[in-house]
Amino acid sequence: MDIVLTTMFYFWISLFIVFFLIQRGLWIFSDVAKGTVSFMLEKALGPGSDLVEGRPGSGARSWIFQGTLWLILASTFTFISMWLTHDPNALHSLASWGFVANADELASAGVYATIYGSVSMLVIGSSFHIIPKLAGTELASETNANLVSFVWTISVLVLVVGSQNNMILGIEIIPLGTAINAIALFAVILNQLLTFANRTRKMALPGWLILIALLSNPILSIISIISGAVDDSAGQWLSYHLFGGAFIFAGVAGVALYASSFASGNPLWSKTLVGVTLFGSIITINPFGDIHGQMVMDAFGPLAENNVVSFSNQDMLAATFLMALVSIPVLAFASNMLITMRGSDAFVDSPDYPGNAELNLGAWAIVPIVLGSLFVQTDTVSGTLELVGIANSMSVMSGWLVLVPLSLGAALSLYPELTGRHLFSNSRARWGYLMMTGGAIFGLSITMVADFMDMALMEMMVEDPSALSEELRKLGSVMFYGVVIGAILHSLNMVTGMFRGELISQKSVNSSSISVESYFLVSPMTVRRILASGADLDTEVCPTEEDNVKGNATSLEQLSDSTTPTKLYVRYKKEGKWTWRPADGTDIDKYMTEQG
Amino acid sequence: MSINTTDSADVFLQGEKEPSGSWVFIVVGTVFSLSFLLLYSILYPGQDLPVISDLIPVFSGVFDSGIWFFILGIMIGIFSIVGRLLLEATSE
Repeated sequence: MDIVLTTMFYFWISLFIVFFLIQRGLWIFSDVAKGTVSFMLEKALGPGSDLVEGRPGSGARSWIFQGTLWLILASTFTFISMWLTHDPNALHSLASWGFVANADELASAGVYATIYGSVSMLVIGSSFHIIPKLAGTELASETNANLVSFVWTISVLVLVVGSQNNMILGIEIIPLGTAINAIALFAVILNQLLTFANRTRKMALPGWLILIALLSNPILSIISIISGAVDDSAGQWLSYHLFGGAFIFAGVAGVALYASSFASGNPLWSKTLVGVTLFGSIITINPFGDIHGQMVMDAFGPLAENNVVSFSNQDMLAATFLMALVSIPVLAFASNMLITMRGSDAFVDSPDYPGNAELNLGAWAIVPIVLGSLFVQTDTVSGTLELVGIANSMSVMSGWLVLVPLSLGAALSLYPELTGRHLFSNSRARWGYLMMTGGAIFGLSITMVADFMDMALMEMMVEDPSALSEELRKLGSVMFYGVVIGAILHSLNMVTGMFRGELISQKSVNSSSISVESYFLVSPMTVRRILASGADLDTEVCPTEEDNVKGNATSLEQLSDSTTPTKLYVRYKKEGKWTWRPADGTDIDKYMTEQG
Repeated sequence: MSINTTDSADVFLQGEKEPSGSWVFIVVGTVFSLSFLLLYSILYPGQDLPVISDLIPVFSGVFDSGIWFFILGIMIGIFSIVGRLLLEATSE
């Protein structure tokens, strides 16, 4: 059997067994396992556990703050790598300090900082709040969650250093960083499983998305070694994309779906679509990311040989088919998010939840970016290699326009609940969003145009580089600087809000300057739609009638003067037929009693 | 006839909230400083600025790309976050 289907088969079976064990428990060993894990999470740490606080919510808070700080470094590395693409000698003066800045290496550092540092930390941080909430219990160990966040940050720092120089004192740095990361993730998984074991109710599906995402990472690592995928060119590509689909996409989808409901106040639109997202993230191959398995080669170090990506016919068919199926979970996820956030009629923008805009952006952007990535990856898998030139831009786009907005949006939505305060400034949050979004969309789109120009020139065998392409790359990198500023604004807003943000118990400041003093009710209307028009609790709702004369606008002045009292009617049976009569005081009292 | 002003003179008052317009005076001060530096080169043509003119050659060949302006912006941003953390952690 070919490597793609073999690895996928092992992966599915393993996840099914793990899912079964989580649901059923470990029979007579369950209590022993709970006690052992509980001991490992706190007491076994010894004095280490005294280094951090264990107050409720401190674990999630710590992960989310560090994830946001990583956002600055991630965007900075990406920005510098984009700059060095058109100006390779810009940082040559740093060579005197022993650091030779290279665009490819800094892009790699940017990927590690974005995926491991920012997205993963925001997802795990949010999950420390979401899983206990959905399970109706407390997090098993806040102390451990808090402490492990620092171990995770150290692992990402090691990975970033390794991306610049992978061999220091004869030690391979990236495998070392991966090992530290695996230890931290193991602690996170144990903490979440113990929390789940203490559940008091059935957990909703977004919680399962997060749990499966966390579990898929170590399972996938073991399966890749057993099936030989880490040492095979197609296997390395597959492991990379399974990691992206099962760990990153499922995790991000889990926290984003929870946040879409939490932030909008609407119930999650469809359970079936969440199930499809969960099932699809495991069954299909996610096309986000690079067109090679370099990260897998680096992560597994001595276990993986350096290979150039090539697929056998069977592998090509299996990979293309499973990748094409990804549109099912992605569409299910995006539609569920968007409809949940809009509710049954209108979208209510609450100033208490500044993550709404980011969640919206991620839900919109995921569909076109998945389609674009699908073209690029299919082109690579089939060996056509006509779209290789835009692969890097597409990969960076998937990070900054889908994964980061969704994970950051979820974290921002949970911020007031975690800290007990609102963000310091809604205006700053809005600027942060606009800078990040504008920078990512325009910066990366312009860079992609330059990629297309270079591809066209290469196809025509033109040897001289295009001056226009270089100018576009320059413009693209400068535009992308907006992402860095946005990340700084968000971080500063969160840090300041932690100390000086308005307490959530106090009246929140309305982000909108529109004030509606009176609202004219001309037809039956939901409260949501009235609120969406800018009305608040002090707005006077005036029942009135429309002017039905064709072509005439309804005169608000006249209507406000001539507000008619509401008439109530009672339906009753008269001679076997239903009819109506005006309600009297007794009817109204009876109605009020029935309504409580 | 006497005016009793002791009640208002012997107490020190300081507002807790920063007025939104205070930064304008800092910007005006900075612009004035830069203007005076330009004025120096007009009044004393050919004369180098004291101290600054000695320092600038030290950095020649180091910050010779536009990317340094952007990196400077990032550093200011990071320092503002670190500064805010330190300020809040040490304030009463």
